[in-house]
Amino acid sequence: MAGLELLSDQGYRLDGRKSTELRKVQARMGVFAQADGSAYLEQGNTKALAVVYGPHEMRGSRSRALHDRAVINCQYSMATFSTAERKRRPHGDRKSTEMSLHLKQTFEAAVMTQLFPRSQIDIYVKILQSDGGNYSVCVNAATLAVIDAGIPMRDYVCACTVGFVDETPLADLCYAEESGGVSSLALALLPRGGQIALVQMDARLHQDHLGTLIEAAMTACKCVSKVLDEVVRQHLQETSVLSRE
Amino acid sequence: MIKTEKVLHLKSSRGRKVRVVREHYLRERVPCFSALCQAGCENGKVLPGDLTHYVVPDAEVVLNYLEVLELVELQGVVFTQTACQALHSKGRFYNRLRNLLKDPRHDCVLFANEFQEFSYCPREKGESQEKWQTQEYLQSFWPALQAAQDLYGSVRQALQEKEADSSQREFPEHLPAQVLEAGIKSGRFVQGTLNVSKHRAQNEAFVTSDGLSSKSPLSAGVLVAGSKSRNRAVHGDLVAVELLPRVEWRGKVTALSEGLADERSGDDDEIKPMPTRVVGILQRNWRDYVVTFPPRDAAQTQSRAAQRVLAVPWDRRIPKVRISTQQADALQDHRVVVRIDSWPSTSLYPNGHSVRVLGRAGELETEIQTILVENCIHVPPFSEAQLREMPVNSPEKPWAADPAEAAARRDLRRTHLVFSIDPRGCEDVDDTLSVRRLAGGKLLELGVHIADVTHFVREESLTDLEARSATTYYLADRRYDMLPAVLSADLCSLLGGVDYAMSVVWELDAQSLAVTKVWFGRTLIRSSYQLHYELAQALLNGEEVQVPELARLDPEERDAKLSELIQALETLTHIARHLRAQRDRGGALELEGVETNKALADSLDRAVDPEDPLVNRLFRMMATQAMSQAVYFSTGAQPEDQFYHYLALDRYTHFTSPIRRYADMVVHRLLTAALQLERGGQQGAEPGKPPAGNKDMEELAEHINSRNRAAQRAQNLSTGLFQCLFFKERDPETDPRCVADAIIYSIRDNGVLVFIPYGVKGPVYMRNKEGLVVTAGPDGTCEWQSGSVHRHSDHITTTSGCGSATFRLFDHITVRISVLSTNCHADTLTLQVISNQPHLGAAPQRPGSPRRSQLVQEVVRLAGEAQEKAARRPELSKEEREFRQSRTPNLYSLLEEIRELAL
Repeated sequence: MAGLELLSDQGYRLDGRKSTELRKVQARMGVFAQADGSAYLEQGNTKALAVVYGPHEMRGSRSRALHDRAVINCQYSMATFSTAERKRRPHGDRKSTEMSLHLKQTFEAAVMTQLFPRSQIDIYVKILQSDGGNYSVCVNAATLAVIDAGIPMRDYVCACTVGFVDETPLADLCYAEESGGVSSLALALLPRGGQIALVQMDARLHQDHLGTLIEAAMTACKCVSKVLDEVVRQHLQETSVLSRE
Repeated sequence: MIKTEKVLHLKSSRGRKVRVVREHYLRERVPCFSALCQAGCENGKVLPGDLTHYVVPDAEVVLNYLEVLELVELQGVVFTQTACQALHSKGRFYNRLRNLLKDPRHDCVLFANEFQEFSYCPREKGESQEKWQTQEYLQSFWPALQAAQDLYGSVRQALQEKEADSSQREFPEHLPAQVLEAGIKSGRFVQGTLNVSKHRAQNEAFVTSDGLSSKSPLSAGVLVAGSKSRNRAVHGDLVAVELLPRVEWRGKVTALSEGLADERSGDDDEIKPMPTRVVGILQRNWRDYVVTFPPRDAAQTQSRAAQRVLAVPWDRRIPKVRISTQQADALQDHRVVVRIDSWPSTSLYPNGHSVRVLGRAGELETEIQTILVENCIHVPPFSEAQLREMPVNSPEKPWAADPAEAAARRDLRRTHLVFSIDPRGCEDVDDTLSVRRLAGGKLLELGVHIADVTHFVREESLTDLEARSATTYYLADRRYDMLPAVLSADLCSLLGGVDYAMSVVWELDAQSLAVTKVWFGRTLIRSSYQLHYELAQALLNGEEVQVPELARLDPEERDAKLSELIQALETLTHIARHLRAQRDRGGALELEGVETNKALADSLDRAVDPEDPLVNRLFRMMATQAMSQAVYFSTGAQPEDQFYHYLALDRYTHFTSPIRRYADMVVHRLLTAALQLERGGQQGAEPGKPPAGNKDMEELAEHINSRNRAAQRAQNLSTGLFQCLFFKERDPETDPRCVADAIIYSIRDNGVLVFIPYGVKGPVYMRNKEGLVVTAGPDGTCEWQSGSVHRHSDHITTTSGCGSATFRLFDHITVRISVLSTNCHADTLTLQVISNQPHLGAAPQRPGSPRRSQLVQEVVRLAGEAQEKAARRPELSKEEREFRQSRTPNLYSLLEEIRELAL
């Protein structure tokens, strides 16, 4: 049998979206009182939980502390029940180490670390359900958590994956699309200035198409930022109402 | 949009069942593609508003009756997405449906019902869907469309048969797809395309696989012997085969069998192919086949149902097809197009259904249609919609150049003397030449101007789509044009008047003839003369001839113009000679059609028999045949060092015949795009959209190649057909034309292959079926005697009671030509040796073209008389043949060189 038809002739994707449409994004901030900041974010069927501790003084070896800015410590993990088949995932496997590193780089670009010298900010992200675009969902969730923790950032960091099928970029890939042999690109953006915090791609793509692909990714990221902004505003409204009472 | 979820149960890579949750988004607005819809969401193809009804077939119907829905006459079909997906998961017809939807000629659309808020129903076990009454639909809405009724009948019957059948097995079952895949990966099975041997179709077939490295012993192909091991695979299928145990191995037979001998079958083939059996079929490559219904009195063993007929395919490599039909009586001895539906393991023959009746076997028209269908050549007349796209050019409303368009082109009308040279009587002039001296005679400016067809045929227009599926097909007595006549014979023909052209202009140094500058671009030209080769040659020779364009001028002016023209022709000839000499030094070689490298060229030049021009010609023909055919490919698809050419040139493509070749149109488009990019880049303008991606181009090149091969095959077949029809009318015993001179060019175990200057090649048997051999009497006459045949590397000897006879390679012998008539297949010529001396009547006339074209004319005339129908333009085909066959070094061949060098 032929492979899945990722983009039909009528322009529909497998799940009924058009090529530029994102999955449904839902988010809540401040889900845990224990942590300094926390957020839960769903993007389609990918669900992630992010918690932020800090800024606090260095734990563990003090020698890692930087004299002019804060150290960002990220940890990414996936729940055993997050995929279709239950699978034990020990800490420190290569995939999650790499992902942790990516997250760290992304947030070092966005958080104003110079305000907190010799201190540390911990960001823990856990994927509860995985359906493609894990990196971008983690970034989006962590952004909300960092905001919830009240740590100053230059801008929201919004991330999105895009794929390239039949000469058309597809925004926000789901798992079926990611595994269907699409060359995908993940991009994290600071939307106001249009600065790219991180871009990652490990598939083959013709050079000519890279421009359109990045263009599409940036548009998608800007859409995500609108949603995040709304979530933050609503959360603020709710908490301010509560505190007034 | 509303988000819902779908729960699927899928198999994971390890074969475990996994529950997968997928999102499913629904939207309110999904275009319905109806012209009557008021929502105004239409885009692209829209169903016309004047239909009386729409049809929404369900999955079952689409699956079983897609062919009925494919008929162009059925309009307003709305396919649902659900039905399409059902088809996709079955994997069979999905691409056909997709093409159907894309095709602008069919009024059918796809409604994405699963993504629409109100039409989506979550998957549950519900009651079975209501049966769609195809028959009723056809009868109530299309009572007049007999073809659809018949097709429906035959499909339905085939379906019923499928349900009813369950007798004992004739073949082992095919292995399931997973097992096949695993087997191929592990190397237990070999995957490849099944090629049935033309001459021993019953028993011999080969599987050639391209995925293997050349070191593997299997790369040369493996043998599938017998119909049991072939296990229901049909010629062309992609199959998986398994090696047989060593005890069952047998060798390949190299003797000439009845039927034609394959000219290429290597008799020095050392590697014995390994025998295998087919264990599974990965992909069926069934196409439409032409079959002949046997006459009623022929024993029909299929007694169970009187309606079932075993029809014999025209192509010998295809097994007989069992067809259920109620018209068996009416269709006796008719050629019919059929499709194979299935081949259950319980049946010796595949089941099929008839699609279209071509006509009575043996009639000229039927036979030609057969050749077309067998080569998948589809030549519908140009449709209304297509003709509507064409610009109008009639006496009342003459076509005129658009001033805006004209301004954008370089105008060569006043500055250049443009003329064309073509075969006499040519209707479509698609290339013209110009030459002039510049800078006081120090520079020569040489121009080639090609009709700008792509200006008239926009990409993706209907005409373009039609042309893509075709090239111009030349058969022996007719041709099928790629473009409508208004283009090919009128607007795109560079006759007098104003014409759009695509030009290449070189500036050459007048002394060294080195190219100093090249210019490409769109131009506006006016052709002053339409010459033909004979006329041009005569002008060059200084003969007194009439140039029709100058007939009306007064003598003074005429002389001036004539001398100007002759001057231009002389310059051209001079350049052409020079280029030719240069190229000969580079190792190019003129062959019968193609050219190749230096070593071969030299060896061929030495191999010349001064006594016998025919042998020389034969040498070149065989050398050409041994070479692989040139193919089109996309330059982006292969690294540059893999480019390979016969022409001793760096790169080669042609673009001089856009009227006749689609490939040339593609080259034109690419060139235009490249020019736009270059010039747009200079002016900072927006560059145009690239005409096609690399992948598309690759597919297109592959497609054009396959079409060209089909055209070539069809042409050869039609030539053969005419030869047979020609000799069929004559009595071989009495008619002197049936006795001819022949040259032996290959030796086989029990006979020789000969070439007859009619253009016929064929086998001559030295030993017949009764075991008698040919012996030669003292005067050379041959008789059949009992004896034996010995084959050597360069001659074959027969020994009998009366002595022995030896036939050497390149000996001339005399043969009698007769026709072996078969009802179901193409007729073939049989040759019988009657003397081992050259034919006495073989006058030293120039063989070839004149006789061959006479032959075509004669057959056409006979067919015309028989059917009281006007013969179709045989004069034209004669021109065409001469055009292809002239091989004396005349002006024409020189001009051809320039054309080939055009890029």
